[in-house]
Amino acid sequence: MTDRYSFSLTTFSPSGKLVQIEYALKAVAQGVTSIGIKATNGVVIATEKKSASSLIDDSSLEKVAVVCPNIGMVYSGMGPDFRVLTTKARKAAQKYKRIYDEYPPTGILVKEVASVMQEFTQSGGVRPFGVSLLVCGYDEKGPGLYQVDPSGSYWAWKASAIGKNMVNAKTFLEKRYNDDMELEDAVHTAIITLKEGFEGEMNEHSIEIGVIGGGNFGFGPGKEEPVFKKLTPEEIKDYLANIV
Amino acid sequence: MECIFGFTGKDFVMTATDSTVAQSILIVKSTEDKSRALSKRILLLFAGESGDTVQFAEFIQRNVRLYEIRNGVELSTKSAATFTRRELADNLRSRKQYSVNLILAGYDLTTELPSLYQLDYLGSSVSAPFAAHGYAAHFLFSIFDRYHRPDLSLEEAKALMKMCVGELQRRFLVNLSHFTVKVVDKDGIREIAI
Amino acid sequence: MSGKNCVAIASDKRFGVKYLTISMEFPKMFQATDKTFIGISGLATDVQTLMERFRFKINMYRMNEERDFEPITLANMVSSTLYERRFSPYFVEPIVAGLDKNNNPYINGMDLIGCSTTACDFAATGTPEDQLYGTCEALWEPNLEPEELFETISQTIMSATNRDCVSGWGAVVHVITPERVITRTLKTRMD
Repeated sequence: MTDRYSFSLTTFSPSGKLVQIEYALKAVAQGVTSIGIKATNGVVIATEKKSASSLIDDSSLEKVAVVCPNIGMVYSGMGPDFRVLTTKARKAAQKYKRIYDEYPPTGILVKEVASVMQEFTQSGGVRPFGVSLLVCGYDEKGPGLYQVDPSGSYWAWKASAIGKNMVNAKTFLEKRYNDDMELEDAVHTAIITLKEGFEGEMNEHSIEIGVIGGGNFGFGPGKEEPVFKKLTPEEIKDYLANIV
Repeated sequence: MECIFGFTGKDFVMTATDSTVAQSILIVKSTEDKSRALSKRILLLFAGESGDTVQFAEFIQRNVRLYEIRNGVELSTKSAATFTRRELADNLRSRKQYSVNLILAGYDLTTELPSLYQLDYLGSSVSAPFAAHGYAAHFLFSIFDRYHRPDLSLEEAKALMKMCVGELQRRFLVNLSHFTVKVVDKDGIREIAI
Repeated sequence: MSGKNCVAIASDKRFGVKYLTISMEFPKMFQATDKTFIGISGLATDVQTLMERFRFKINMYRMNEERDFEPITLANMVSSTLYERRFSPYFVEPIVAGLDKNNNPYINGMDLIGCSTTACDFAATGTPEDQLYGTCEALWEPNLEPEELFETISQTIMSATNRDCVSGWGAVVHVITPERVITRTLKTRMD
């Protein structure tokens, strides 16, 4: 930009597009694949976790984030951007809890995160986030799975995929998904879907899985509310053993 | 020592303010108008700390007028009262607050009803068939309780007003020689003699 | 005051400055949701301001979340709103009363900075608070049906306000049942 003013980087192109957002989506499309599947009694989100070098201690890598006890999320795209969004989402959840003494329903949290992402497409001196999110949660309406894009738009899905292999993965999910799938099935399906486009060896250290529902309770007045939980490498190993 | 009061009639509101401006023991003026027209059919009466009163009343007056200019509609009496109340209530928590007691008298063309609101300096607002601030309240509420009816005709209202003024001049220690009496009805605001 | 699958909330109607009564039609309660009421006693200006603020927040919540406040959530919202003004508080003591989604009674009383107490039986605030607690203690019993609850709360508020020279001048009672809200006004002594 040649002018001195700090206008938003995302300025409409003559054809009516916001190219910065499309570039952001490209950044997402280069990111590793993430999968989310909503089951009757819970939701699973899963992603690949590949480190650039075998020397990196991948137990410290975290791609599935807990936002609050009943909500978790995963991303495809740029890791650092995701960390910023995670912080903002966690703050939003705690702010909500401070006012109402309960954690936000999935939809409300998603709305909050989406509005942050939208703001970054319209403000001056910033760029859009290079991530798409899959947010899963469980509230009084039951399990919920949402995808949020860099533009700030969001949808509720039964099952979705984002990232590099998203087209194939979605086609695969369309074939595999059915409405009365339970969480155990959904975890299996998620792993198989990831495996479809997986490069290299899939093991308990190269994927990350988060689940909510399906008998994992742990907070709320009588500890009866479903809680979001990241699967440990051991648990993932058990799932993988069943698949092969 | 100031007296402002008003009551509703069948299709009008009648209000009165004393016309005295006093400083300490001295009367400096006896023809003061302690009211401002907020719009064609809304009248604001004020009493309280001199300076604050006119300042605040005219602030409200101009904001109500601004609303009319911006939106091309007049505020209802209720809306004007709500706005005024909120200004007072917000102002109460500021560093230096206005010390103004108010009465809002209005006639709404849409409902064809007269209405009267009593607001104190704290920002409490009540809609009432009759209202009075200051020492007047102690003398007049009993008269209103006994003689006020919602369907007063203008003549009856004048008689009631005479009774009120008479009572104040007979029983109130302070000499309030002159009262400004106004009527708000469908034709607007006008001063009347009683 | 809670009953069997019902709650009741009542307030007097006086508005006055010190010993001068200015109005006898001053509502101190409003309906927050279908099955929840908020009653606020205290400084009239703050009562009115807070009613406006709560109405605003309730409407925003309903639009944002596409659902109504549960009474417990509402009470927490009221409490945190008051605590926001910890060091220049609104001079009020609110009560939240309602039925939750399972139609269980919920009663909550609060002080001016939002320190809330959930009661299983009754809560009272205002100038005749002591008298109210006394009469509540004497008249209330568990599992009252709506009509009995109405009778109990009415007798309670009348007995208590009649002994308090700055409250009374009529009263309003809302009985909240799963099906409907019964609203009645009481005539009390006017002196």
